[in-house]
Amino acid sequence: MSAHHNTNSIQHLYEGDQSKLYSGVMQHHTDIASPESKKQVGRIWRVFWILLIVTVVEVLLGMYGYQWGMPRGLTNAFFLILTLFKASFIVSVFMHLGDEIRSFLIMVLIPLTLFIWFVIAFLADGGFWLHMNSTAVTR
Amino acid sequence: MSQATTADVKLWGGGRSPFNVSYGKMMMWFFLLSDAFTFGAFLISYGTTRFFSAVWPDANHVFHAFPFAGEANLPLLFVSLMTFILIMSSVTMVLAVHAGHYGDRNGVIKWLLWTIVGGICFLSCQAWEWTHLHSQGAWWGSFTDAATPISHIEHFFNMKEPAVAAALPAHGMQATHDFYNYFFTITGFHGGHVASGVVFLIMVLINTVNGTYDQRGHYEMVEKIGLYWHFVDLVWVFVFTCFYLL
Repeated sequence: MSAHHNTNSIQHLYEGDQSKLYSGVMQHHTDIASPESKKQVGRIWRVFWILLIVTVVEVLLGMYGYQWGMPRGLTNAFFLILTLFKASFIVSVFMHLGDEIRSFLIMVLIPLTLFIWFVIAFLADGGFWLHMNSTAVTR
Repeated sequence: MSQATTADVKLWGGGRSPFNVSYGKMMMWFFLLSDAFTFGAFLISYGTTRFFSAVWPDANHVFHAFPFAGEANLPLLFVSLMTFILIMSSVTMVLAVHAGHYGDRNGVIKWLLWTIVGGICFLSCQAWEWTHLHSQGAWWGSFTDAATPISHIEHFFNMKEPAVAAALPAHGMQATHDFYNYFFTITGFHGGHVASGVVFLIMVLINTVNGTYDQRGHYEMVEKIGLYWHFVDLVWVFVFTCFYLL
């Protein structure tokens, strides 16, 4: 959306401070009251409402599940999906990762795929330990 | 096709960042990636311990108090407030970054101030919650005495579940001990991030007021502290899920 980083036109501003080239302020952004700026602010507040509503839904779901009973696996699946949903909004809009160029986005995300192995391996190990331990008790 | 190739060569041909980010911003991203793995390791370790425990404290029973509400049973309400405060401070932070993009110094000052207020509110809430749990006997290394009567820990568990009630005498102490060690370590590590974030925000605010970034010609420092602050919010999203919801 507002990729604030088209550097070609500002090479002449380079004076040894590299960040001037990439920090975006130097080019087209001057008027905080411009429609473009307002659009961006609108997007920020939209994400705020999404995060707030999702959090409220999570808490209500937790209370409902606790008071009236819901399959634990089902609520947990909901919680995990909603958590990743919130996380993606924070990273892509608040941290502007969605506005960076694609190769940078991929470079940041690839190491995080290690978590898929990390979570599965360790939780499976914990579950197996409990399984072994409880059979040993009953034996 | 040939156009794309030309753009590629230009992008990686030297003389500019192929990722279109400055050195400082990229290093902040690398730091946050490493920090993500530290927090991830903590949370996965917590999950592993929970998976190999026969019982586990129930968040609805552990976190049910609210300041000035006495003995009222209000499960998860206080942590919802803390989460709201942190999300709100994330919004004011991104608005400060936005004002920085437009070189709007007063905007940056205003939103940084609100972010600092939000951070301090969050830390105060956490201090209250820790104090409250401490008053219930919970701390690092608490619940180790095997002779502790079951009545001292059963209010942390969902005793309506027959399986939990049955396993509690044998496994309840160890689970309570593990739960609180992880709780104080992980929320403490997160709170430490919030506290240092507040310090950094104050430093950036002082620079902004002094006009340092106007002289420099850009507000990239606000962007970098913004990345850090949003990351702390991001971690809280996961801490909230792991400790209070799952």
